[in-house]
Amino acid sequence: MQVSTNNYYEECGREGQIRCIFLSEFHATAGCKISCQVPADYVSKEVFDAINVYIIPKPHLQRCILTVNAMDIKIVGYPVGIENQQKYARNAFLFNLCFVCDSWARSVQYEPVVKKLSEYLIMMEEESCFLSKEGDHKLKLQKIFETVIKDLNEKKVTTIVEGDTTIYLKIVIHKPDPPVVKDHMVPLLLKDFKNTPLDKWDLTTQQILPYINGINHIARISAEADVETNLVKSCVQNLAYYGVVHLLPILKYSNVYMCTQHLKSLIKIPSLSHACRKYVALNPDKTLPSIQKVFQFYASMTHGVTLRAICQRLCPQNYNIDERKLVIFGLQHKFIRCIHKYPVFTGSVPSGRQKMYTGLSSFDEICCKTGLSPSDIEKDIDKDTNVTVIWK
Amino acid sequence: MEVNPIALLLVYMDSKGDRLLFRYPYEHVYKEKTPVHTMSLAASAPVLNNPPLVDIVMTSSTTSLVSQISTETTKKRNPYAISSSDELLQTTPPPNAQPVNVFGACTSFCNAVPKGQLEGFTDEVLSTLFAVKQQLCNQKLELKVNDVRFVSHPTLIPRNELRTSIGNTSNTSNTSNNFLSLVTATSNTAVPGAQPNVAPTKPQPQQMLINIVFALHAQASYSIVKCYYELSKRLGLALRVEEQRVGYCTEETMLMARTHDELSSQQQPLERTFDAITERSTLAQALKSIYHDLCTTGLLNTTLNQYLTVSFCLPQKAHQLHKKGSMVEPEVIDRCLRALKPYHGMLLVDYAELLDCVPPRAARMLLQLVEIYTPLMSLQMLASEADMSIEHVYKMVSHLVYWGKATIIYPLCETNVYVIAPDAPLHTKSHLVEKFSARFAGMSLFDAISHFSLPTSIGHLTTPLQQSARQGMLAQMVVWMLQHHLLMQLHTYVQFMPSDSDDFYGGVSSMNVAGSSSSDGGNEHLHEGTNTISSMGVGVAGELMISTLSHSINASDDDLNAGSLLSCASQPLPVPHTSRSEDRYSGGCSTGSENIAVQPSSSHKSNYSMTASISTENCDSIASIEDEERIKELLSVFNETDRAAIRRIPASSNVDDLSLLVKLYQAGYFKSEHHLEEIMYFQSLRPAELLQLLDKFRDVLIIYETEDPAIASMYNNK
Repeated sequence: MQVSTNNYYEECGREGQIRCIFLSEFHATAGCKISCQVPADYVSKEVFDAINVYIIPKPHLQRCILTVNAMDIKIVGYPVGIENQQKYARNAFLFNLCFVCDSWARSVQYEPVVKKLSEYLIMMEEESCFLSKEGDHKLKLQKIFETVIKDLNEKKVTTIVEGDTTIYLKIVIHKPDPPVVKDHMVPLLLKDFKNTPLDKWDLTTQQILPYINGINHIARISAEADVETNLVKSCVQNLAYYGVVHLLPILKYSNVYMCTQHLKSLIKIPSLSHACRKYVALNPDKTLPSIQKVFQFYASMTHGVTLRAICQRLCPQNYNIDERKLVIFGLQHKFIRCIHKYPVFTGSVPSGRQKMYTGLSSFDEICCKTGLSPSDIEKDIDKDTNVTVIWK
Repeated sequence: MEVNPIALLLVYMDSKGDRLLFRYPYEHVYKEKTPVHTMSLAASAPVLNNPPLVDIVMTSSTTSLVSQISTETTKKRNPYAISSSDELLQTTPPPNAQPVNVFGACTSFCNAVPKGQLEGFTDEVLSTLFAVKQQLCNQKLELKVNDVRFVSHPTLIPRNELRTSIGNTSNTSNTSNNFLSLVTATSNTAVPGAQPNVAPTKPQPQQMLINIVFALHAQASYSIVKCYYELSKRLGLALRVEEQRVGYCTEETMLMARTHDELSSQQQPLERTFDAITERSTLAQALKSIYHDLCTTGLLNTTLNQYLTVSFCLPQKAHQLHKKGSMVEPEVIDRCLRALKPYHGMLLVDYAELLDCVPPRAARMLLQLVEIYTPLMSLQMLASEADMSIEHVYKMVSHLVYWGKATIIYPLCETNVYVIAPDAPLHTKSHLVEKFSARFAGMSLFDAISHFSLPTSIGHLTTPLQQSARQGMLAQMVVWMLQHHLLMQLHTYVQFMPSDSDDFYGGVSSMNVAGSSSSDGGNEHLHEGTNTISSMGVGVAGELMISTLSHSINASDDDLNAGSLLSCASQPLPVPHTSRSEDRYSGGCSTGSENIAVQPSSSHKSNYSMTASISTENCDSIASIEDEERIKELLSVFNETDRAAIRRIPASSNVDDLSLLVKLYQAGYFKSEHHLEEIMYFQSLRPAELLQLLDKFRDVLIIYETEDPAIASMYNNK
């Protein structure tokens, strides 16, 4: 039975460090061998012999990024062959620069780096036989490898000067695709980026950043910053990709929220509860709001109860709680989620605005698109017997 | 779709060399290829239907020879799948390479093939890549070339010696299957006994390598790759068993190799060859059906050689059926199943398709389970009805869930509260709309489901006056919506959280004063209470004692009295801190008398405690003192602050109520981890009992509704 197998799923998709870098070449007499390895003997002879087919492959697999994961080791390589009948004993010099990772680790981020470093080595080989010449070059290469492994693991970026060549390498992390940004969404700048000086951002970001406050939605930011909406959207999407902003639903007192199973972490993780109390405080100089009150506020969020109703009942201001910040913090940490309203047209032929009631766009979205206020839409829907409203 | 395989390959190797025997799909790949140029050297190619003469697994010389030949065969350098920018960087091929077609295989073909197909890899390249060295056999091999990820479990299969020779003769005479299996029966008995004895002296039995390789999109997630690896491993194992039983592999590989040779000598295109192989070979047919099943349902139930059934489920694919576009990771299913509790129930998704997924031998028990199943039953009930252990039921339910045939629910009942799932695909274009109207004639999905925009139970939607038919209909709709993950059940969770005392008394500083002023009462709480909040609650009591009852209180037995006093004195919740102590006292009295009317059990205690504190000099009944002792003991599990808060609640002076509270608290049920149904199940409580308790202690408990994480994990929550 698949489900009961332990360790069946290794650490799925986690990124790992570079464990080793080696250069393998096809020696005229000795065949495939590792000519330089840092740290030494990380890849044993037995392992190398078993997989050398994939390290020095047939010519048609040259200049492909080739990753082999076998025998508990993952090797990312870029096999290369340089043809030169005069220079080389076998008319060609075959080599492969490889990065070695743990077999469970994600390695796709190293692929461009391996390729780029290989291209540098090709250049150096073609210019000065850096790789094929016997002598102290191996020591230099070892130095390069040592620097690369250290810098990339620590800083993800490195610059090495070797003779006339300067090598620039950088690891670019692949992230999942960012969400589609729509007019009614509200970007929230995350705390870590609050103190970044404005002039460090690109021009569009510089222009819209002052309006990103967790309250303004895209359409509004666009209007206030006087930047075209699509430009704002792609800028925010870019920021979302790099984890600089978080996209939240628009905050209205008529909104309905519901607490999720993650709410318990507010109690369980003391650092989180402290951060929450600090964040939601109306006046930071007064005593911080108690965690009990904050929790109670979140816990009273449920279907059918608007934010306004909760505020009237619990009077958050009396306890130094800013309910807007409370909602933002809750959404951001997934303690609560917004229950959206979706009008669905159930009649046969939709006309006019009914065409928007597909069940795919929420009230907020429709309001933003039509420029009407929620109450107008509400009236419109109430009159129409062919429209059903779904909350989810 | 990154879940679907791009292609499936069968690579074979023995001492004679390696060969790609079969690949699927092949139609598209070869449709637009350039005409095959064959210098037919097929005669010189290794002919596999002779029994091999050399008893080695493989020698480096043979492989290198073979690979060298195959290297030269490729004249045209090939653009690799999906990427085109890299072409510019590719080196020119060896200029002196001759187009020698050893295996009669197509060596070069155009890249004008539809996207998503495996392209740019000649059969020779694939064959040399996957005819792996012995050290790599019987373990995972993952190879990524540009945008294609190959995953496989190369399997070494010892040749069935007796079968090999018989297979050769029988192949020529085309013996029927019946005959073969007769022979096997004898050979099987002979082999296992003989082998270990002779092994040291005799050379090892010949082995062949069978590698079933899946080519996947490189973006496919780790879990998908793992599942395909598992499938490759399983197929390898099955082939190994079949080889040992009847020499199936030997037979099939020979058949395929012969077909290759035969058709290439006739200069037929490779596509024809694969067609012929698919016609002749049952293994090729099986692989073909495996590929198709993977692409359509993700569920496999293939029988190899009409004997061995390989069943497999690709959960990422199988769980898409009821909700398109969603992808359920096996990890998530695993997490859900680890959280299975006896009170959970099972809901079969599609009864008709159920038995697809059942391997024949397990069918009896599963049928037994399914026969008695209803969505109203908990797993515990299922187990006792079916007379099985709960572990067995868990296993079978896990199996059904993994295969996408069932989901986990809380057993259906009138009081279950449902709400529309946040990711429910409810829109006018959804295929579910029609499916729903087909199932429930004349009903609209949106009308039916809009009742659940607010959390609602079946009980709420029906009244006893309505016919039971309507209720039944409603239940069936709920079942349908649960099956399609449109509804989600909400549960009530409890978090123990005494509210701050300043809710009652506002300012902190004034209470401190009150506390210190009363400290001469000798109250132990006050002495210990270094933190302000703890002293606040007790402080009230202290003040009260001083102002009204201090004359009757003996400093030595204060603890007991303070306790009983606290319970009534802290009663009046809305009393502002500015009010006089007389008000408090009267408030306490009135609540006490209310208690008499409302809750007889607890009122007795609070009533008693008042009289006890007033007339301490009189010797009270031993039972009551014991009660007080017990309450004190029970309260000792809480820390200072919490104790004070609990003491303020009248029900805390009732030993029964308090002990139940303490019991549940100590068992960790008030940490938002367990919903009410779970608490009731594990503590054997009646709903009324638990709800009453929660109501009595509502001041220190926060109650909220949310989804059961175990079940909700199967929904695509964002």
